[in-house]
Formats: sequence, C-alpha cells, structure tokens
Amino acid sequence: MTSRLTARELTLAYEDRTVVHGLDLAVPDGKVTVIVGPNACGKSTTLRALGRLLKPRGGAVLLDGTELARIPTKRIAQAIGLLPQSPVAPEAITVADLVSRGRQPHQHWWQQWSDADERAVTDAMDRTDVTALADRPVDELSGGQRQRVWIAMALAQETGVLLLDEPTTYLDISHQVEVMDLVRQLNHERGRTVVMVLHDLNQAARYADHLVAMKAGRIVAEGRPEEVVTAELVREVFGLDSVVVPDPVTGSPLVVPGAPYSPPKDAPPKERIPG
Amino acid sequence: MSALSSTGPRVRPAGYAVVRAGRAAFLLHRRAAAVGSCLLALLAALCVAYLCVGESFVAPGDVLKVLTGQDSGAELVVGTLRLPRMVVGLMVGAAFGIAGALIQTVARNPLASPDIIGISQGASALTVGAMTFGVTSYTVLPYLSVAGGVLAAALVYVFAWRGGLHATRFVLIGIGFAIALRSLTTLFMTKGDYLVAQQAQIWMTGSLNGRGWDEAAPLGWVLLALVPAVLWAARAQRTVSLDDDTATALGVRLGRVRLGLVVIGVVLASVATGAAGPVDFVALLAPQIARRMTRTAQIPLFCSALTGAVIVVLADLLARKLFSPTELPVGVLTAVIGAPYLIWLIVRSRTTGGK
Repeated sequence: MTSRLTARELTLAYEDRTVVHGLDLAVPDGKVTVIVGPNACGKSTTLRALGRLLKPRGGAVLLDGTELARIPTKRIAQAIGLLPQSPVAPEAITVADLVSRGRQPHQHWWQQWSDADERAVTDAMDRTDVTALADRPVDELSGGQRQRVWIAMALAQETGVLLLDEPTTYLDISHQVEVMDLVRQLNHERGRTVVMVLHDLNQAARYADHLVAMKAGRIVAEGRPEEVVTAELVREVFGLDSVVVPDPVTGSPLVVPGAPYSPPKDAPPKERIPG
Repeated sequence: MSALSSTGPRVRPAGYAVVRAGRAAFLLHRRAAAVGSCLLALLAALCVAYLCVGESFVAPGDVLKVLTGQDSGAELVVGTLRLPRMVVGLMVGAAFGIAGALIQTVARNPLASPDIIGISQGASALTVGAMTFGVTSYTVLPYLSVAGGVLAAALVYVFAWRGGLHATRFVLIGIGFAIALRSLTTLFMTKGDYLVAQQAQIWMTGSLNGRGWDEAAPLGWVLLALVPAVLWAARAQRTVSLDDDTATALGVRLGRVRLGLVVIGVVLASVATGAAGPVDFVALLAPQIARRMTRTAQIPLFCSALTGAVIVVLADLLARKLFSPTELPVGVLTAVIGAPYLIWLIVRSRTTGGK
C-alpha cells in the first residue's frame, strides 16, 4: 500500500486547546478513506490539517514526503482539493462561474481561461449532473443541487487527492446516497484518493475502503470496515450499546443501536404539561 | 485562436467572454463591459457639460477649441479654472470608487468603506490637527492627510488581527477608531482659532474648490503607478470573494492577498482625501451601485471607478451651479445624488436585498 499523503505525529490546537494529539496516519492511494468519531473528536480538524487549512502545532502533514509548509500553496492546490463543511457562495454567482473558479490553481493572471480549463469544467459539471443548471444563480438551488455544484468545483480542480468534510450533512437520504455513489464512482473510474469525514457510521461502513475511528483526538482503530466496526468499538468510541449485523444489501457491517426508551409498564405518567 | 475539438457543448463561465491575445486569455464579464461602456459615454457627456456650465456659459465649440489648444478667449475659464478642477474630481471619484470596492471585498460587508472604518477620520484628524497648529500650506496638508489615513488604517489592521483577519472584527474596530478620531478632530477644532475651524470644516466636507494642476499632477502619478496593482486586485477578487476555507483550498494565500487589497484601497482613499478632503459616501455608494448594475458575483472595480467619477463630477457640477454664485462643497451633494439611486436599485432588485 502506498501513501502520497501522510500525517506524522500531528498535534493540532485552537488557541490553547489541543484537539488532536500526536496522530499518525497514512492515507492509502486510490482508496476511499473515511474518518468517523463522536462530535468534537477532532476528525474535521484532522481533515482541515490534511488540506493545510490549519497549521499543525506539532508534527507535520507530508505530501510525497515533503512537508506541506514547504510546498508552494499553488502546487498543493494542484494536488489536494478540499470541500469544506459549509462553503458559502458569493451572492448572485452562477453555477458555471462558481465551478470554473475551481480552476484557479491552474491559471495565471494572463492565462485566465484555457482549453484544459474548459474541458475540466465541462467534465466536472457533467459528472455531477449540473450542466443543465449552468446559468442559474447558486443561491436559488436546492440543498442537493448546491452540494453537487460544490463537488463539481472541487472536481474541476483536478487533484489526485480529494478531501470532503461531511459532504452529506443537510441532505435528504436520496441525495446522500447520490453523493456517496458519485464519490465512489469518481474514486473507481479516475483512481482518485478520497478522504471523507462522515457523521453516519453505517454510511461510512458502506462506502469506505479504509475506515479510521477517532476519539478524543486519537485514532482508536483503523482498517477495513469489516475489521473495525464491532459492537465493542461502537461502545468504546461512541459509548453506545448496539448490535452489529451484516448489511442485507452490501454485507458490510450495519450498526443497530440498542432498544429505544420505552415507558415501564403500569406506571402512569406523573405530570402532564397543561394544554 | 486555438482550435477546440468539437465533442459536445462546452461549458464556459456563464456571462463571460474569453478574450484571447496570443497565448494570453482573459475573462471579460459581458454585462460589466456593457455597463462600463455606458458609464464611459455618460461620463464623457458630463465632462462636456461640466466645462460648458458655470457662472458663465461657454459654448461646446469653444470648449473643444481650448482642449485642442486653439485660442478662443475661454482659455482662462475653461482651461485654467474648470478643466484641472474636473480632472481632480474624476480622479478623486475613481480612487474612492476602487478603494470602497476593495475594502468592501475584504470586509465582506457592503457597509464598509474608508469613510466608515476610520481612514477618512484619520486623514481629517491629522490634517485638522496640523491646521490648528498653524500649518496652512496646501502643499503640505495633502501629505499629512495621506499619512493620517494610512496610519489610522494600520492601527485598525493591527488591532483587528488575531491569528488572521476576521472580517467583522475589522469593521467593528474600524468603526471604533472612526468615532475616536472624529472626537479628536472636534477637539482640535474647538481648541483652534475660529477661522481655522471654518477652513477645517470646509476641508472635512470635501471640496474641489480652487483645485488646479498642482493638485492634479501628484494624484495622477499615484493613480498611474497603482494601475498594475488594481489589475492584480481585480483578479484576486475572484477567489477572495469565496469563503476563507474554499479560497485557501484553491491555493490562495489569503492573509497576504487581503493585506495587499487593503493596502491598495487605503492608499487610494488617502490620496483622494488628500486632494479633496473626505468626500463622504462616494466610496460607500459607488461600488454597490456598480455591482447592482453589472450583477457580477464580486464588486466590479472598473465600473466602481467610473461610477465614483460620475458621482463626483455630477455633484461638483451641481455644487457649482445650483446656488451660483455661491459654490457649495462637493461633499454636500455626493450623498444627495448617490443615496437615492442606490435605494432605488435595492428596492427594484428584491432578490438580492435579503442576504
């Protein structure tokens, strides 16, 4: 297994609060890696550091063996693309305009538009099925459409590595599946390396080649989802009692949480809110 | 021109034309180009009117003769009095327009402008302070004004910096400084001689009265020197107008680029203030009017400059003529012209008002 993107003894902090402690990670090339963990475990922070949105307090992120801090930002942007959790589009920008801004790292001030730009943008919009929306303002689109537009922008950047921070948040279930399938397809057909942060453990188990479970700023377990996702791990990482069964469709591990709250028998409710 | 293989329709950034020259290729916003052309035509017409109209009317034919260097007897009125004053007005308006556009871009706030975040107030404080201490030379005061503006901006920037430039913090600290510096200016005025106070009051309103080639020349050189910087800024706006994370992911060194944009904006605003005083509202209104006319995703620099020039020249034309022979300071009229138009634009385009 080879890794272009690695983290070595990575320590990340906001002001004086350390969020990630001495983390080592090798992102497998050409695979889909998914980072999961409870809220505030440092998974998004780790992803931000991999995309050099956050400077490490200690340790380093390496691209092809060189520290990110030593590589010109434009060169990094040609190799690593990142879609933040809730990107904000400028007011009144059109879909095609936004997607073409993904070409920024390949352009110069005297070379603002090339055939390669045109090809990449056309292709990215085609893959994400937003070509028909090209002239529409982004702020008029639905949540699912908008997310596809942002993914198109990240794709137009044509990077070997793509980092996605919770790309399915705010989407309904069918759009979630659509986005996840798109990511897998891109990974399969173009051999792109993908690193995602996901909230949903079952979604992670379904789509990941390599699963990384984090808790309190450290990696608790990593490997193939079948090896990593067990009732024991779910209890350790999320503090949740559950049963893990094979997914009836894919065979990947499916986490079924323990029984929901039910009122004890013969005990009438003590108090009712009037009205 | 390069040959494109014709496999299916190609996507281009909507609304842009690609202008090619050899290997170079530039994106040109079609609507912005059209609006810019209209503004240029309007500005040309205004300039002719400006030179013709005044205490005495000069026929357009005679104005043309003066401009082409022929003797027509109107040389004094048009060539010596009106023309340099108009040129200063054009440059001041354009400089304020671009300065406002850049500062609004960095602050991500349409209400941010040099006259809101303390730059104009810094210029005023130092200039009025110098006046009360007996400096009255109009060759020295503009430089003090530039220094005051740059100094105030530097202080705001340093205080707003906290591991990065936070847009809201920048605006709020700027407003704080603006209030403090305005009080300081008032203090200088009450301490000073009443004649000085009166002179300071006119300067602070913004006036083109009596401006000649001596004021126009240094302003022109500075603006000319800043042309490459403004071209760079126009390009940088494409990514700076995205959110911080997305821009950084695209390889933009946000801290540096923002600082660069602020520096260009501050220098432009300070130099314009030095020449004409803080002509209020031009920097605030021009970029927003230009953006609403062009409907671009970022504030259009070239059209902001033209809009600023139109506002100042029109305002000064009215300031000279309305209550003739009394001449009002141009600053009294800029807001009266710009504000209703901006309000009308916002009311008309209900879709972009709520964000």
